[in-house]
Amino acid sequence: MDLDKLQVNACIRSGWQALDLGFLMARAWWRLLCIAGLVPMLPLAIVLLAIFFDSPFWALLVLWWLKPFWERLPLFIASRMLFDEAPGIWSSMKSLPLKDILPWLFWRRFSPQRAFDNPVTVLEGLKGAARRQRLRVLHGKYSDVALSNQFVCFLCELLLAFGLLVLFDFFTPDVLGIRFYDTFGDLTLAGEWLFSLAAIIAMSLVMPFHTMAGFALYLNRRIELEAWDIEISFRNLAERKRSLQTPARILPAVVLVFGLFGAGVPGSAEAVIEHDRESSAELIEQILQGKDFGQEREVRKWRFKDMDEEAEEEESFPEWIIDFFEWLEGSQGWWQGLSGIAVWVKILLVVLFAGLLLYLLRRYRGPLSRLIRERPKETAPEVLFGLDVTPESLPPDVPQQAIRLWGEGACREALSLLYRASLSRLIERYELAFRASHTEAECAALVRAHGIESLSEYFWQLTQTWRRLAYGHRLPSDDVLHSLCDGWARELSSGTE
Amino acid sequence: MLDTRYRVEIPGGIHLEAQVVGPIPRAFAYAIDLIIRGIIIVALWFASIPLGLSGMGGGVFLIFLFVIEWLYPVLFEVFARGQTPGKKMFGISVINDDLSPVTLGTSLVRNLLRTVDFLPLFYLVGLVAMLSNRRFQRLGDMAAGTLVISVREAARPAAMEEVQPLAPSTPLSRADQTSIINFLQRSPQLSRPRQQELAAILEGVTHEKGDNGIEYLHRIGAWFLGVR
Repeated sequence: MDLDKLQVNACIRSGWQALDLGFLMARAWWRLLCIAGLVPMLPLAIVLLAIFFDSPFWALLVLWWLKPFWERLPLFIASRMLFDEAPGIWSSMKSLPLKDILPWLFWRRFSPQRAFDNPVTVLEGLKGAARRQRLRVLHGKYSDVALSNQFVCFLCELLLAFGLLVLFDFFTPDVLGIRFYDTFGDLTLAGEWLFSLAAIIAMSLVMPFHTMAGFALYLNRRIELEAWDIEISFRNLAERKRSLQTPARILPAVVLVFGLFGAGVPGSAEAVIEHDRESSAELIEQILQGKDFGQEREVRKWRFKDMDEEAEEEESFPEWIIDFFEWLEGSQGWWQGLSGIAVWVKILLVVLFAGLLLYLLRRYRGPLSRLIRERPKETAPEVLFGLDVTPESLPPDVPQQAIRLWGEGACREALSLLYRASLSRLIERYELAFRASHTEAECAALVRAHGIESLSEYFWQLTQTWRRLAYGHRLPSDDVLHSLCDGWARELSSGTE
Repeated sequence: MLDTRYRVEIPGGIHLEAQVVGPIPRAFAYAIDLIIRGIIIVALWFASIPLGLSGMGGGVFLIFLFVIEWLYPVLFEVFARGQTPGKKMFGISVINDDLSPVTLGTSLVRNLLRTVDFLPLFYLVGLVAMLSNRRFQRLGDMAAGTLVISVREAARPAAMEEVQPLAPSTPLSRADQTSIINFLQRSPQLSRPRQQELAAILEGVTHEKGDNGIEYLHRIGAWFLGVR
């Protein structure tokens, strides 16, 4: 047993998955297994059918009874195929074990776990007490799965036999006069023959699947108990470590190292190409135009169609519709009868339409109600860029306070007071929709959009000065501060209203 | 290499795996569903007797019969994670062949084509179709692009005895780590001589003999499991 050649993936499976694996094995080796089942069976089948010509059911019964025997050759061959050997049918037949065949043909004939137990007899060659003990170990939790394998495969056999019969019946013309049943409902001789043949075919077609499912269950149990998957993986690991230690590996490594250094030298020389400012700008432009940086936008818009072209097309009104309506007019009586129904159809359509309308109203009631209701007023923010802009936080005379602070050397406080007082006034008086997410420049843009030239001019100057101080730590001169204070009094103090 | 495993590579370069399920579990799941449907239909039949079987009741019954026969699997597959009650009992589930959840469209196609698989007698065509491809798809599955996979949870690892963890002396690949962990976790099911055999394979790596080898591998396995 050479696990390296194992043809199935050894891993822990549930019993049901093992059955599926068995079906895959049967699928893969199907032809060989079918032949292996048929080769010993066919000669006997021919002889038996010749003997029991008048009652082929007896032949069928004998062949069916000998099933445990027919199953041995496919199982034996599969066990060799499993380890990647391709045994010939004749040579396998010669070495086919006949051990313990009598119990299997008599008191174990109806064992519900035949396919699962078979490998112990056929492949391990155990009998008597040794076999019993081995089966006790193997059976474990899989008895019910083995039983369902037997059951389903038996049903499949029946299904296939009757299905073949029905198919034959479907496709034989009546003129041939083949009758499966006589007038009393019993099978005729032709019927018996056909059923027997169909059953033999079904038996040999299902046999590989049934045998392999049981075999796979047995394999699964052994993989579990003997940890085949672990052995395979350990062998791989040991093999890898061994080959790493042999000196043969050193040579490629040396070549690799030298190869790397060799390749590194010329690459560095050609890497830098001098570009002056203009040519590189050109180059950048060129690259930006290229496919990687280019942008394509798909724009969808409504536009008027060219009506002239459309009109031409519409003139070709399909002839058959005209014909249809003319024909409708022609058959008046029939049409009159329909008008009663038409009223009902009309009512139905109106009801459906009303229902649809109601549904749509209900479905889109959210967006619709939002359309109708007035949009709620956005609340003005209380804090912008960390500055408190509520009117309550401001002193009564802002410019004077600012100049006082400036005189005391608290330049930052002075300018920030001026700036946040402006923001506060702008929110209060002009109802500008500042949001907490806006930046200083965006606020200035909003003021500009409001449209008062002098105010926006002043606010922009203030913003710039504030930004320079706040982020750039650059103090404005005394003059600038005084002019800003004057500007504040002019543009924003409450007295201007 | 024969395996029931089905693999899909999704765009992120990640491999998804599932175990496809063959005819035997599916036949049992179908039988359970058949029984459930039968019970529902008989109950409906009795329920429609008061309405008059030859009139209104018969009509209503036939409509329900139609709906149950054709939509029973579709409803369960779409709204119950691809599992009809029978499939749930056997831990199998219907899924699209890219391993995304089954949708109304694919489920409808798969179940409407049941009739084709049913021909000529009780799913004979379906059985042959299932055995003709390695994913066990019947004709309806092929048309819809669906699979039946196993969704039963893997067995919980066995309880571990107290093992003193030990850091490995050489770096090991993920597959090797997994097999050493398996060796530790499955050791209660393995006989002592078999464990010695397995440990002996790695003698060149562990440089330990006999029972010492087993213990060494167990300790490394515990380390890989995160015991410190």
